[in-house]
Amino acid sequence: MMQKVIERILNLLAYLLTVERPVTADEIRHTVAGYDRHTDTAFHRTFERDKDLLRRLGIPIEREATDVFEVEFGYVVHDDRYALDDPGLTDEERTALALAVQAVGFGGRPAGQEALMKLGGAVGSLGGTELGADLGEQAETVAGAFAAISERRTLSFGYRGRERIVRPYGLVHRRGRWYLVAADVGSNDVKVYRLDRADAVSAGDRSGAFTIPKGFDPADAVLHHPWDAGRDVTIASVVFDEEVAWIAERELGQNAVIKRRSDGSIVTNVELSAPEAFLGWLIGFEDQAEIVEPPGLRDRFCTLVGGA
Amino acid sequence: MTNSPKTAGRINRLLAMLPWVIANPGASVDEVCERFGYTRTDLIKDLNTVFVCGLPGYGPGDLMDASIDDDEVVVELAEYFARPLRLTAPEALGILASAKAVQSSGSGGEALDRAILKLESTLLPNGADAVVVDLPEPSMVADLREAVAEGYVVRIDHTSIASGERKVREIEPWSVFTTLGNWYVSGHCRTADAERVFRIDRIRTTEVTGERFDAKPASRQAAVRYTPSDDDVHAVIRLDDAARWVAEYYPVEVLDDGADGMTIRMSVGDSAVAARLLLRLGGSAELVDGVEVRDSTADLRARILTRYAGNARND
Repeated sequence: MMQKVIERILNLLAYLLTVERPVTADEIRHTVAGYDRHTDTAFHRTFERDKDLLRRLGIPIEREATDVFEVEFGYVVHDDRYALDDPGLTDEERTALALAVQAVGFGGRPAGQEALMKLGGAVGSLGGTELGADLGEQAETVAGAFAAISERRTLSFGYRGRERIVRPYGLVHRRGRWYLVAADVGSNDVKVYRLDRADAVSAGDRSGAFTIPKGFDPADAVLHHPWDAGRDVTIASVVFDEEVAWIAERELGQNAVIKRRSDGSIVTNVELSAPEAFLGWLIGFEDQAEIVEPPGLRDRFCTLVGGA
Repeated sequence: MTNSPKTAGRINRLLAMLPWVIANPGASVDEVCERFGYTRTDLIKDLNTVFVCGLPGYGPGDLMDASIDDDEVVVELAEYFARPLRLTAPEALGILASAKAVQSSGSGGEALDRAILKLESTLLPNGADAVVVDLPEPSMVADLREAVAEGYVVRIDHTSIASGERKVREIEPWSVFTTLGNWYVSGHCRTADAERVFRIDRIRTTEVTGERFDAKPASRQAAVRYTPSDDDVHAVIRLDDAARWVAEYYPVEVLDDGADGMTIRMSVGDSAVAARLLLRLGGSAELVDGVEVRDSTADLRARILTRYAGNARND
């Protein structure tokens, strides 16, 4: 059964790649080996499935008029959209990619093995270091955004109850989430969207619809800490006791530490522009951390903890 | 009935193998097998398929020629399959993001860096640096990974996120992995005599002992998720609009969802988790039911306010 399907599909693809004009379903049925014994209904069902499979493999089967009068429509595979834009990898580079594909997954499944084959397979032992990284479950939405970026198409999606239309500039995976950095088509403001909150992502019809500003780095647009989100920056001085100092230092970075005391505690300076997010984080340290300055932030923390 | 993913996989491999063999005449069976992950039998099967396919007419000059001759793979009359297929968006993203994840963790190399530049220049407009994967690897990961590979027992100084309890534990590490932005080590904890997963950023120090443990159980996927237990503490909490995110962020049961807020039941392994959340939510949440969580919250509130009662310590 599978054998027959593969033969039929290879024959169909060989025909479409060599015929150099749109061919009707009827022509395909009477020309390509493998369809000849089907009834009308069976043919249409089979042909739909086969087209579907070829499209999933990345083969751009397009429906076009067979002549200028646009009376009849047929199917065509354009040469330039079929073939890989060959990056010219060396075997050493292929092996490095193979190791990466082996180490990283999306939602528990490997991604990129099909790509690796198309790029020429891989040689050498694949017993390298196991990274065991997972980039999350949103593979489909992220891939949709990626396609729009690579073809420079606008992207529309629902986000926080509103429909957005943006020019997608870049994707950032940080703290376990995928973010889209994009310019709003109306206002041109560059904003960051969490892709796990976006639904019904769809790309615009026109490719090459915009250019990404030169030197634009999407990584700069995505916050490192949730308390970086506002405009007015305050510097808070916060003490962390010995028992938790190492946790705070890892999360804030070594540069935040301005003093190490003999009892093992540390004094840190934290730049923050979204105090609420910072205070929420600080509660995680219970009574082993203390805001020293500024007094306003200290009071605000006590009010939050004290309850309304 | 649909065409199975297995069929798609076979065709994908076939359409990748053909261009490579056409571009590299004289390639040996072993080489093709290694490169495309074929067994010898499967390669022969695919070549036999190619042999009976081709162009309409389907006579001797129309069919492709595919065979093994003197241990070399020979494909002829298949020029239309001489170019590899372009990558689909999920494929391109998958390979590029995987490569960038490894690069970001610091365990890549020069070959990977070069491969990434080449991929970016063909997959993205103007070769832009449009996909960023930020996955820094904590310094401890390398040691833990080596202990996994060599089967060494590791002593870890670990502080639980939920309870804040600090304990030195001996673990037999099985795997090191990262998911949802955090790094974890899974294994058998000798101290607890149970299988456990520890967040690496809550391990203060590691000490790889010289002791080796018996082989780990056959590779199993460690999962990071909330697993209910009989010892769980329960709380019913009323959230107003500003606190709705809690229901998305934590595994909770929604008891009531109205226009002005929602009521949830939360189950946690340690009441301190719920207490910290309630303090953090301030006026936008209210504990409706749950004695242990109520006590725990009052205790935490008192401890923090006691600390803040004096003047700020700034010496």
